[in-house]
Amino acid sequence: MTSVQPSGGGGGAALDRPSGSGLAEVVDSILDKGLVIDAYVRVSLVVIELLTIDARIVIASVDTYLRFAEAVNRLDLTQTGDSKGLPEVLSGAQESGAQKKVKGAAKGALEAAGDSVKDFVGASDGSRPSRHRSRSEGE
Amino acid sequence: MPGKPEQGWYVYGIVESDVEVVPGRTGVADAPVDIARDKRLSALVSTIELDRPLGTPEDLHAHKDLLDATAVDAPVLPFRFGAVLDSKEAVVEELLEPHEEEFANALRELDGKAQYVVRARYVEQAILREILSENSRAARLREKIGPDPGESSRTQQIQLGEIINAAVEAKRDRDTEALVELLQPVSVTINIRPPTHELDAAHVAFLERIEEHSDVEDALTGLAEKWAGRANVRLLGPMAAYDFVVTTQ
Repeated sequence: MTSVQPSGGGGGAALDRPSGSGLAEVVDSILDKGLVIDAYVRVSLVVIELLTIDARIVIASVDTYLRFAEAVNRLDLTQTGDSKGLPEVLSGAQESGAQKKVKGAAKGALEAAGDSVKDFVGASDGSRPSRHRSRSEGE
Repeated sequence: MPGKPEQGWYVYGIVESDVEVVPGRTGVADAPVDIARDKRLSALVSTIELDRPLGTPEDLHAHKDLLDATAVDAPVLPFRFGAVLDSKEAVVEELLEPHEEEFANALRELDGKAQYVVRARYVEQAILREILSENSRAARLREKIGPDPGESSRTQQIQLGEIINAAVEAKRDRDTEALVELLQPVSVTINIRPPTHELDAAHVAFLERIEEHSDVEDALTGLAEKWAGRANVRLLGPMAAYDFVVTTQ
């Protein structure tokens, strides 16, 4: 059988091959995707309280606009790649991983929502997470 | 709750019946992973206390880690997080037996294939520079607002931000399209995922033939080099085929 290298298998330096997934990436795969058990089983189904809901949708708001405007105004167009003159958080973040770079520079509501799933204590009626994909559950 | 069982059986996914679990392997809530076995199919399961709410970050990781580790060795049909039945017998008699044909066919189709996710994210400063150089209206507004924006220019700031946001969205559409075109010849099927961050450049899941993986990685490495400094490209996987296993009735 052909084997698969889980990470780092021959990829160039430019392609990021993380060995594990961050929480946001886990959520993206398992809360609204995969088989839905109640489409197959009804009698023995147990409804268990779920702490998570999938509420991460990118919706641009005035906050987003103001944040983008601020980032644009901070931009030093005389610099090409370097971030000299920008707040420390930016130049510091540049050196760490690809993900952190964005986070440090642009930590907004959306990133926060993606990373702190446990804060979304919802679905108090014990129902499943909300889903935005069609072909979800047949209630 | 009277009349209700205190313990349930958490279902991760379905595999062919010759799949074995690594001894000592644990899943959600640190419970040992067990197998509910029927003739041709098995379900990966573990017990769960029903008074314990599900969904901590550890729970979510445990679900995905088990399925992804399994997918590397054998085809698996992943269930959505949070599937619980009231007994191990029910897993066999109510889930596996009645749908044997359907599940077996789906597993056969997945054989030799694996899912990956590509996620590209813009480097904020680089993409803003790119937008300013292409969009004279944005550049003019930026000049007008000046380096020290105050309350008086709030309307203009919102206008500028709106232009930037629309420009990022347009770039995302084009870059997603470019990624999909690149993946099409080297993948079995592709699912474009919605963006989950305002600086997402592309978010795409695809199913590949495992034997063709080096072609996939070469193609993506080329793209990452092309986008270097402008967007970071991450390749996640192999993982279970979450995006491509769909309930059909």
